[in-house]
Amino acid sequence: METSEITVPEGENGQDEATPLDIPSPSTNGRPVRVDPDLEFIRALRRSGGDSLKKCMQCGNCSAACPLSPHVNPFPRKEMAWALWGMKDRLLTDPDIWLCHHCNDCSTNCPRQTRPGDVLGAVRQQCILHYAFPGILAKWVSHPKYLPILLAIPAILLGLAARYREAIGEFLGFSVPMGDRIVYSFAPMFPHWLLNSFFGLFTVLALAAAIIGVWRFSRGLKRSSVWGENPEPVKGVLASLGSVLLKVVNHDRFTTCDTDHSRSISHFFVFFGFIALTVVTIMVITGPFNPLIRGDFVYPFSLWSPWKLLANIGGLAVLAGILLMIWERLYFGHLAGTSSYFDWLLVWSIFLVVASGFATEILHMLRMVPHRHVAYFVHLVFVFGLLVYLPYSKFAHMLYRTTAMVMAERYGREAGKGAES
Amino acid sequence: MSPDHKPILVIGGGIAGMTAAVEAAEVGYPVVLVEKEPSLGGRVVRSHRYFPKMCPPTCGFEINTRRIRGNPNIEVHTMATVEEVSGDVGAFRARIKKNPRYVTGDVSIDDSVVEQLTSDRPNEFNMGLDTTKGLYYPHTAAYPPLHVVDKEALSDGDVAVLTEACPPGALDMDMAEEEFTIDVGAVIVATGWKGYDPGNLPNLGFDRCPDVITNLIMERLAAPNGPTGGKILRPSNGEAPTNVAFVQCAGSRDENHLPYCSAVCCMASLKQARYIREAYPDAKVTVFYIDVRTLGRLEKFYYELVEDENITFVKGKVAEINEDPETHELILEVEDTVAGERPDSRFDMVVLATGIVPNTADSPIPLELDYDDYGFLNGATGVEGVFAAGCATHPCDVSRTTKESTAAALKAIQCLNRG
Ligand SMILES: Cc1cc2nc3c(=O)[nH]c(=O)nc-3n(C[C@H](O)[C@H](O)[C@H](O)COP(=O)(O)OP(=O)(O)OC[C@H]3O[C@@H](n4cnc5c(N)ncnc54)[C@H](O)[C@@H]3O)c2cc1C
Ligand code: HEM
Ligand code: SF4
Ligand code: SF4
Ligand code: SF4
Repeated sequence: METSEITVPEGENGQDEATPLDIPSPSTNGRPVRVDPDLEFIRALRRSGGDSLKKCMQCGNCSAACPLSPHVNPFPRKEMAWALWGMKDRLLTDPDIWLCHHCNDCSTNCPRQTRPGDVLGAVRQQCILHYAFPGILAKWVSHPKYLPILLAIPAILLGLAARYREAIGEFLGFSVPMGDRIVYSFAPMFPHWLLNSFFGLFTVLALAAAIIGVWRFSRGLKRSSVWGENPEPVKGVLASLGSVLLKVVNHDRFTTCDTDHSRSISHFFVFFGFIALTVVTIMVITGPFNPLIRGDFVYPFSLWSPWKLLANIGGLAVLAGILLMIWERLYFGHLAGTSSYFDWLLVWSIFLVVASGFATEILHMLRMVPHRHVAYFVHLVFVFGLLVYLPYSKFAHMLYRTTAMVMAERYGREAGKGAES
Repeated sequence: MSPDHKPILVIGGGIAGMTAAVEAAEVGYPVVLVEKEPSLGGRVVRSHRYFPKMCPPTCGFEINTRRIRGNPNIEVHTMATVEEVSGDVGAFRARIKKNPRYVTGDVSIDDSVVEQLTSDRPNEFNMGLDTTKGLYYPHTAAYPPLHVVDKEALSDGDVAVLTEACPPGALDMDMAEEEFTIDVGAVIVATGWKGYDPGNLPNLGFDRCPDVITNLIMERLAAPNGPTGGKILRPSNGEAPTNVAFVQCAGSRDENHLPYCSAVCCMASLKQARYIREAYPDAKVTVFYIDVRTLGRLEKFYYELVEDENITFVKGKVAEINEDPETHELILEVEDTVAGERPDSRFDMVVLATGIVPNTADSPIPLELDYDDYGFLNGATGVEGVFAAGCATHPCDVSRTTKESTAAALKAIQCLNRG
């Protein structure tokens, strides 16, 4: 079947364009909407966790059961209608799919045993794929058959960097060690400056790609029908960002649900563990110049250095959280939701990053050569995968969620708020 | 018509069983009607009025009891159950167990005797909403028109009162459980239904909030012979409700509960909305539904209510009910799916439109019959000579029930006449 772009006419024009096929809007204000089902989109949703979609009878139980849903244009019933009708454009510009925290309160109570929570998960995946730049990387990340390419890229690039480090160093002017404070006891293959430049370059590229994706997404968001006609912001952007970050840090939205409560715990661990690791990584990168590090910058840090402690605690937190997530997905699928490749890819990547990190650390303490170098190499490959593919993987949720939540905060789209009696 | 026909055994004395019995008996075939409760009538006599005509069930019921009483072809056994059925079409043997009523029926008992008793027992006719004494009259329209003794419930004082106050021969406290076997040619299963247990729907708060009731309770509250003498009152404080919600499909059309549509609860709620509007002209009613299923001519009943300004229909399934701890109002979580809003929904009384579960789901007939996944019987039960009618076969209203019962009677008669 041909796929076609959905045109959702807006305002007066929309009404003028009404054709005999027009049917009342599935959610808002009864204005006619042209439905031009994108069948390929429906199929993609059904393949990636939304297979129960077609059973929905539009009863609204899910929107009423959802602890996070606002009272005007609540979700996820309307998203179910849009998904059923293949209204891709509506879904991809919908902030609500990102307000959903996938607790599955709606799914466990759905009278048709449809799983709206999982359908929204599938829509989120499509959303990331849709906005990601360049699209080809998004395609590779979303399909297991491209996994070898994804792994080969960092392996080859890192290999080349190590092999030609002297040439690169000369080119960059780093051929001499960067000062006497630095003692590298660990990986002569990957000197500090090399890793910094290598990861610096690719992080900047990934960041640029992420910004493009999120920028496209936020433009889409503005077109969404959920804001109602002529929405008035109730808060400034910065104030909204502030309160969203506070909510994210507190895991407020996670803890409101009944069905899958342990998710808040696992996410909490992964989230803060990850932040700890990020802080330590920044310390490592800035090590030679960082006034917080006294004396010689010895990398790796000694076991009792506060940074090493923080790294180990953070790593353990991520490990505990991610194992809990994996365990939930394996044994409590009905709560955690269906698990698509996209979901698995993120949790396993994080697991592999921390697991290979700890393996490297232990092998290093045992002074096992070349094992520790091999482990380090593998670790770096996974770190590359996690960071550089962030804009294309489920990891991008942190950007998309934050964006949608800020917008929702700005327009007063709060859980349990909105409709007057 | 030949007098040597074996009788038709009808199991269940609700409207389905009574109809099948009189239809067969009135064309000359003998019928044995077995009912487990102390009186006939099943669920229909428990309702206040019945749709679509909104007449009290007692008038139709009285016509049926008159037809039964006057017909020598019908043998009625109440407080009785069928324990075993063996044999084949045309030659079944059924073992019937009859629990003692302790009331002989030979001498009538004056109500003043009942008043002197002290111990109470839950009144199953009123869904346990009130109590009766250990000697009681099942309900005002009871047939057979006899008192019953619940021996377990009697206190020692009550026993003394009974021996003293009852006329001699009225009671037989030594009456024993009775068992007998009869030969029958065909069997009609008309064991009916019960309401879906609202305890299985914890989200809807039946066990948490006193003012959340079921549609079955509503029928009893509205009925003049019910626990409140026909006054619809909030159970929590005995006050008149001013703002009532009906929650449709409470357990029905739900894969986690009853996947099927219970067919009558939309009409039942519309009917009950009328009870409220008639009793309290200022009261407001809101019906929360997935679809209003009023098939065929019943649609008219719905359109009449749509005209009523005080009745609102909201398309949306209620997900949760909680009580406001301060005001004791009931707060409903629901999306108005047409408006795309979750309105602030507060009521002082909520009626759960619970659905229909066949009695055969947990107490099957002692025969190898073909039940569906939910315990309903097909009209043809998979055993030759055994038929089913009424809510034992699927959720349905009285008019449908009586038609099926007549059909079942005809099929049973055909069995009796075959070779
Ligand atoms: C809230 C509500 C309101 C309703 N209002 C209306 C209305 O207004 N109008 C309308 O047309 N319909 C109405 N109905 C539907 C109506 O109640 C049914 O159509 C009717 O009760 C079906 O009759 P029945 O004889 O099949 O079952 P029942 O009425 O359940 O009768 C079955 C009888 O069998 C007996 N029995 C069960 N098991 C055994 C056993 N093992 N041995 C012996 N006896 C047994 C039972 O005690 C009972 O007396 C309503 C339903 C509901 C839920
Ligand atoms: C910045 C704001 C963030 C928000 C609002 C957020 C929110 C969420 C939510 C709601 C989910 C569940 C969604 C689903 O599984 O479909 C989730 C999953 C996840 N998040 Fe975050 N997150 C944020 C940042 C992070 C960060 C920084 C990490 C660090 C590693 C992280 C790691 C994960 C992981 C691993 C999962 C997958 C859980 C699983 O598969 O069971 N998140 N996040
Ligand atoms: S997903 Fe389920 S609960 Fe939600 S509208 Fe559809 S059928 Fe109803
Ligand atoms: S999964 Fe949870 S948050 Fe998401 S729509 Fe369902 S109930 Fe709401
Ligand atoms: S009759 Fe109405 S209330 Fe009853 S199950 Fe069917 S749709 Fe629901």
